[in-house]
Amino acid sequence: MKKLVFLVTVLLIAVLAGSVVQAQDLELTLWIYDDGRLEVLTQLGEAFEAEYGVGVSVEVVDLTEIRNAMTLGAASGEGPDMIIIPHDNLGPIVENGAALPIDLGDAAANYLTSAIDGFSYNGGLYGVPLAVENIGFFRNVDLVPEAPATWDDVEAVGAALLDSGDVDSAIGLPDLTYNSYPIFTSFGGYIFGRDATGSFTIEDVGMNNEGMVAGLTWIEHLIEEGLISANVDWEASHVQFETGRSAFILTGPWAINRFETAGVPYAISAFPAAEEGGAPGYPFLGVQGLVVNANSEDAILAQTFAVDFLATEEHYQMIFDAEPRPSAWASIFESASDPNTAGFNAAGANAVPMPSIPAMGYVWDAWVNAGALVAQGELSPQEALDSAVAQVLAQVAG
Amino acid sequence: MNKVSLVIPTRVYLLHLAVFGVFLAGALWLITSLFAAGLVPLGSALSGIVVFLALIFLRRKFTPLRWLAIGIALALLFTLYPLLYTLFLSVTNMGSGHLMAKQQALARYESELYLPAEGETYRWAAYQAGEGAYALWLIGEDGTGRLAVPGAALQAVEGVGALDSDGFPESLAGYERLPLNRTVPLLSQLSAIDFGEAPDAIRIRSLREAAALQPRYRYDAAQDALIDLETGAVYRPVEGTFTSESGEELPIGFIDTIGIRHFQNFLGSEGFREPLISMMLWNISFAFCSVLFSFVVGLVVTLLFEDLPGKRVIRALLIIPWPIPVLISILIWRSMLNPDLGFVAPVLEAIFGASPEWFSNPLWTRVAVILVNVWLSYPYFYVITAGAIRSIPREIYDAAVVDGAGGWNKLYHITLPLLLRVMMPLLIASFTFNFNNFNVIYIFNFGNPPMPNTIVPMGYTDILISFVYRLAFISSNITNYGLAAAITVLLFLLVSVLVIVQLRFTRLFKEAV
Repeated sequence: MKKLVFLVTVLLIAVLAGSVVQAQDLELTLWIYDDGRLEVLTQLGEAFEAEYGVGVSVEVVDLTEIRNAMTLGAASGEGPDMIIIPHDNLGPIVENGAALPIDLGDAAANYLTSAIDGFSYNGGLYGVPLAVENIGFFRNVDLVPEAPATWDDVEAVGAALLDSGDVDSAIGLPDLTYNSYPIFTSFGGYIFGRDATGSFTIEDVGMNNEGMVAGLTWIEHLIEEGLISANVDWEASHVQFETGRSAFILTGPWAINRFETAGVPYAISAFPAAEEGGAPGYPFLGVQGLVVNANSEDAILAQTFAVDFLATEEHYQMIFDAEPRPSAWASIFESASDPNTAGFNAAGANAVPMPSIPAMGYVWDAWVNAGALVAQGELSPQEALDSAVAQVLAQVAG
Repeated sequence: MNKVSLVIPTRVYLLHLAVFGVFLAGALWLITSLFAAGLVPLGSALSGIVVFLALIFLRRKFTPLRWLAIGIALALLFTLYPLLYTLFLSVTNMGSGHLMAKQQALARYESELYLPAEGETYRWAAYQAGEGAYALWLIGEDGTGRLAVPGAALQAVEGVGALDSDGFPESLAGYERLPLNRTVPLLSQLSAIDFGEAPDAIRIRSLREAAALQPRYRYDAAQDALIDLETGAVYRPVEGTFTSESGEELPIGFIDTIGIRHFQNFLGSEGFREPLISMMLWNISFAFCSVLFSFVVGLVVTLLFEDLPGKRVIRALLIIPWPIPVLISILIWRSMLNPDLGFVAPVLEAIFGASPEWFSNPLWTRVAVILVNVWLSYPYFYVITAGAIRSIPREIYDAAVVDGAGGWNKLYHITLPLLLRVMMPLLIASFTFNFNNFNVIYIFNFGNPPMPNTIVPMGYTDILISFVYRLAFISSNITNYGLAAAITVLLFLLVSVLVIVQLRFTRLFKEAV
C-alpha cells in the first residue's frame, strides 16, 4: 500500500514535470470560439510551419473562457498566443493591456473599412479582421412578394395579413435591442456617438434621443395593434416565422439553417426607412478577427503569423470557402454572389460596428429592461429610455 | 512503543518521512510557482496548510491527529480560504482594469518600448556565428547595410558576399545566414537581445522591422512613481490607478484596497435600498414557498399512493422530473407557458376566458417561478417522505384508531409530528439552497420582468444572488469582482442569520417532541 502511494506520487510528479517540459516546445496556440473554421485554420497553421518552421495549434474554446484568459489570466501571463473573437469583446482586453497593437501598413487598404473600424480602439488597431456579420430583414415571399420601403408599409401589409387571418403576428422581433436596432436607427437613434478620434464615447449617449424614442414608440404602437407580440421571445419569433405565422422577422445568418429546414419561402433585403425616401435603417456590424496576446512570450511570433503570413487574399479565400461568412477582405466580400449573402450585404451596407467600449456592457441589460417596461405598458418609451440611460451612467460611475 | 499503541514504529515512520518529503517537495514547487505568478494570498494559505500538515506528520506525538488533519486541511483550503479571500476582495477595487498585483502592472509598464521621434528603423536579416551568438544585418532608411552585434557599435565589415534581391548579404565571413524558417523560430529570443551599443541599442519589433527602441517607463521606488520617459510625465498610484498631476490616468491599474467603499455604495444609496427590501422579502418568500409547497405536494403524493395497487409504476412516473437536467425542465416550462406558442395559454383561455402573463406580470411570473421550482423539487420530498413514513410504527396508528382517531387526526397528531422530526434538517437545508437558487430564477426569466426606474437594472423575480450576478457579471465587458464580493459577504451574513434562527427553531421543536 505504502509502495503504491509512493509510486503514484512519483508518477504524478513525473507527469507534472513532463507537462512543464512540454510547454516549452515552440508552438503557437490559437483559441477560436466556434468550430466552423477549425479545419481551415489548422491547415493554414501547417502551411505556416512548412514555411516559417513554427507550428500552430488551433483549439476551440468557449468564448467566456477566452475572455477570462485574456483579462484575468493576463496578470499571470497565461492564455493562448492568439485568439479569434467578435470585436465587441475587444474593449476590456485592450484596457487590461492584453492586446498587441497591430500594424497592417499598406495592407490595411485590402480590408473593409468597417471591419478595420471594428478592431480599432482609441485610435489604434488591435486585431486582424477576418469576417463580418450583420442581421437582415427577412420576409415570407408567399405572403409579401415585394420588400416594403418604409416601416409604415410594413405596418400596412402586416395589418392586412392579420385581418385576413393569414398570420398571428406581422413582425417577429427576437428582442427589442440588438435585433431591433435597425428600427431605431432608421428613425435616427444610436447608442453611443463618436469622439474626434472616431472612437465611441460615453460623452455622447444617443440611447434616449428622439430617434430611439420614435423607434420604441413605433414598436409600442405595433404591440398595441397586435402586430408584434407583447411577449418578446427569441425562440417564439423564429418559430412563428418558420411556420408561416408571421410575415417578417429581423434576424441574422444563424437563422438561415432553420428556415431552410422548415422550408419557409424567404428573402432577405435591406431594412425599411422611417419615411418615403429616407435613409434605411442599419444594423450593428459584428466583426470577427484575430488578436495577439501582448503578454505572450511569443507575441512577436504570433504577430508574424497574423500580419506577415495570414493576411493574404489567398488565405482569406480559403477561409471564406471553408465557411461562407462575409469576408473582411474587401474584394472577396464584394464578389459574394449567392442571394442570402447578397441580401445580408444589402441590409448591412451602412452597418456600424457595435461599440466595444466597456460601457456597452452595461447597455444591454438596461436596454432589454426599457423595451420590456414599454411592452408591459408600465412606462412610456421616453421614460423607459431615460431610465435606461440613467442606469448605464450610474453603473459606469460605479 | 508500549506506551501508546497509536504511535508508529520507527521503520514505518521513516517511510512516512520519505513519502511526506516527496509531498513536501511537490507542495514547495507549487507554492513557489504560485508566488512567482503573483498569487500571494493563495500561496500564503497553502504555505500555512503545509506547515500545519508538516507539524502533524513529522512530530510523532501528533500522530493520532493525522486522520483528522487531512479533513481539516481540506476544510481550510476549500471553505475557510475562499471565505477569507472573498472578504479580502470585498475591500479591494478588483475588476476590469484592476486585475493585476502592483508588481505585475509595473513589470508590464517597464517592459513597454517606444521609438523616439528621431529614432531610426531598419529592415533586418539574422546571422549566426555559433551557438547563441547572433548578429543582424540592418538596412537603414538610407539604404546602407551594416552589421549589428550585441554590445558593439554598428560597423561596416569585411567579407561581405553577394547581395540577395532584398539587399542582404548571402554570405558573411565568420557568420552563417539564417534562412526564414530558422529565423522565425528564434524570433522571441532575438527580440529580447539589444543589438548595437547602449543607449542606441536596436531591437527587433517585427519580422520586417528593427528599430532603436527605448524603454517607455521607469519606476522610481523612492517616490513610488512611474515616470514616462517619452513625455516626462510622472504617474503616482491613486487607489490602484497610475494618475498624473494633471489627472491623466494610465489604462492598466492594479488591485488595491479601497476600504468599505463598496459596502457604503451598496447600502448607502437610497435607490438601492428601497428595491432591495422588496427583493429581500421576495427572496425569503420564494425560498419559503418553494420548500413548503414541494414538501406538501411530496407528502400528499406519498399519502395518496401509499396503498394503491401498481404504485411502483406510479412512483417511477412521479420521480421523472428528478433525473431530467434542471436546465431542460426549466426550458420546457418556459415554452409551455409561452403565451404565443405554449399550450397552457389556449387551455386556460378556453376554461377561464383569460390567461395570465407568465413572463411580464410581476405577480404571475413569481407564481410561475415557484410553480416550476415545486415541480423540480417535489420528487425529492416524495422519495424522502415515502421512506420516512414507513419508519413510523404501525402500532401507533392502531392505538390511535382504538382511541377513535379518524384520518385527519392520525395525520395531524401522528404522521406530521413524527415525519417533521426526521424532515426538519432537510427542510432547512432545502430552504438555504432555495434562498440562493440561481438556476430557476435566471433560466426561467432572467429575474425579469424589470422593475421600473431602478438605479441599476433589477427585476421583480430577482433574488439576491441573481442580482449580484446582474450587477457584477452580466455584462461581458465589465467585471466588478470587488463589488460582487462585497454583496456576497452581505449575503453570507444574511444567510448565516437565517440558518442560526432556523437551528434555534428546530432545537425548540425537538425539545417539544
